[in-house]
Amino acid sequence: MRMLLGWGLFVLMAPFPLQILAAQERTTVGGYGEVHYTNPAGPKTPPVVNLARFVVYLAHSFDDRLAFRSELEVEDAKIEGGQAGGEVSLEQAYLDYRLADWITLRTGLVLPPVGIINETHEPPTFNGVDRPGFDHDVIPTTWREIGVGAVGTVPGRSGLAYRVYVVNGLRAEGLSAGEGIREGRQEGRRASFANPSVTGRLEWARPGVKIGGSFWYGGTADTNAAVGTGTFGAPVALLSADARYESGPFALRAAVANISVSDAQAINAAYGQSVGSRIAGGYLEAAYNLLRLLAPASSQKVNAFVRHERYDTQASVPAGVTRDRSLARRVTTLGVTYKPTWNTAFKGDYQLVRNAAGAGESEVLSLGVGYQF
Amino acid sequence: MTLALALLLLTSQSPAAPPAKLAASIARLFGPGARVDTLRVDTVGVLRVSRADSLLGFAAVGNVLGKDQPITFLVAIDPTERLKDVDILVYREPYGGEVAYEPWRRQFRGKSAGDSLRVGKEIRSISGATISVHAVTLGVRRMLAQLTAWHQSGAIR
Repeated sequence: MRMLLGWGLFVLMAPFPLQILAAQERTTVGGYGEVHYTNPAGPKTPPVVNLARFVVYLAHSFDDRLAFRSELEVEDAKIEGGQAGGEVSLEQAYLDYRLADWITLRTGLVLPPVGIINETHEPPTFNGVDRPGFDHDVIPTTWREIGVGAVGTVPGRSGLAYRVYVVNGLRAEGLSAGEGIREGRQEGRRASFANPSVTGRLEWARPGVKIGGSFWYGGTADTNAAVGTGTFGAPVALLSADARYESGPFALRAAVANISVSDAQAINAAYGQSVGSRIAGGYLEAAYNLLRLLAPASSQKVNAFVRHERYDTQASVPAGVTRDRSLARRVTTLGVTYKPTWNTAFKGDYQLVRNAAGAGESEVLSLGVGYQF
Repeated sequence: MTLALALLLLTSQSPAAPPAKLAASIARLFGPGARVDTLRVDTVGVLRVSRADSLLGFAAVGNVLGKDQPITFLVAIDPTERLKDVDILVYREPYGGEVAYEPWRRQFRGKSAGDSLRVGKEIRSISGATISVHAVTLGVRRMLAQLTAWHQSGAIR
């Protein structure tokens, strides 16, 4: 981290000629990425290695208030016609106009501020080679949509921060039994704005503690009157809560979410799906930094962790759908994260992937590396 | 609503012009009405704060790079070179502003240049503000060492 002492213009403010930086244009490049080795148990499932994500962060400050920020992502290393996987996409691209500490206006492709992982998704920030399944099938990370909003901290000692946006809606056509709202995302690609949605978050922070609550509410019907009409036709309503706690060698995190799809029956009739009318679940994770015992003076970390996830994308089903109990998932992950620095991670974990039907259960060994800068 | 927003846009102060905030910070740390003199060390300004004939301490302003913007902070020490407090004078980024929260800054109080100041040990981090936490901790550590060295060498007194 570069010191900026004596860098840039000095602002002369009688009687203090101190180095408070003046407005200056600057461009910043950063990035994050992760490589995975995944080996599901069983002879018919060979191990796979994958450059899961390679993301370039590019930002530019036009002056002290106006900044552009973006993340351009390549998934699975390459895309080639006719081959499965691979994606090039923008994860974020927005302009920020900072008015004061308590309000920055933001517009562009933004991350709905839902849960822990969606906004803070750099690999060294979470345990486990892959993101929790909950953050794939319930909260569809990395979730991004186009809209406008405001972010800021509540002044004073309260330790509260907020974010609120109006963005384009989800599309009912993409909703599914197994992945919930995931494929309903439009991700900034010629997105229909027929159903604007509102999303927001309030969070409270102390050293070592962060607690947040988030919501999303918006219609999904687009122009299909058979599914719903009006701005909030066939609404998806999401509520979530999360907590992170760190003290000495201990770290705990937990997240829960509940998503109501009240017109799931109409959506299923229109698109031949078995979308649940309620999608719900959560996880609890505990970690302990083993170096606290083995090498107390070290600032590196070797976090041994265990995470238990329970979620069901058919927690409730509308008339006409028989619950598929294999969608009631229970995933236990045991692993180790070695962090030589706070922004690099070498990871290994073993996952027990179970479900209420006992069908198609598996065990997966994964190894990975991740970085951010 | 729209009108209020438009007014806010037109009237809000640039975040890089916080003399009021600096003065408020000095008043908060050393009490109101203290005398402030500016000392020059190399090219840097250091504030010497006193009341009547007694020295109350020193303060200096520094900048560290956060994710993509500098964070402007103030470090104040007392005459025994113990850190009085840290203030965030200008925070310019959308995430990580928690470093300005008093419960986080409080962790630096009473520290000396010889004390260890490491994130995750003496200084607890804040999830979602990791980059700013590391940046400000590094900046404070360096500034504290610098002020202490200047004081010990007589460059500021």
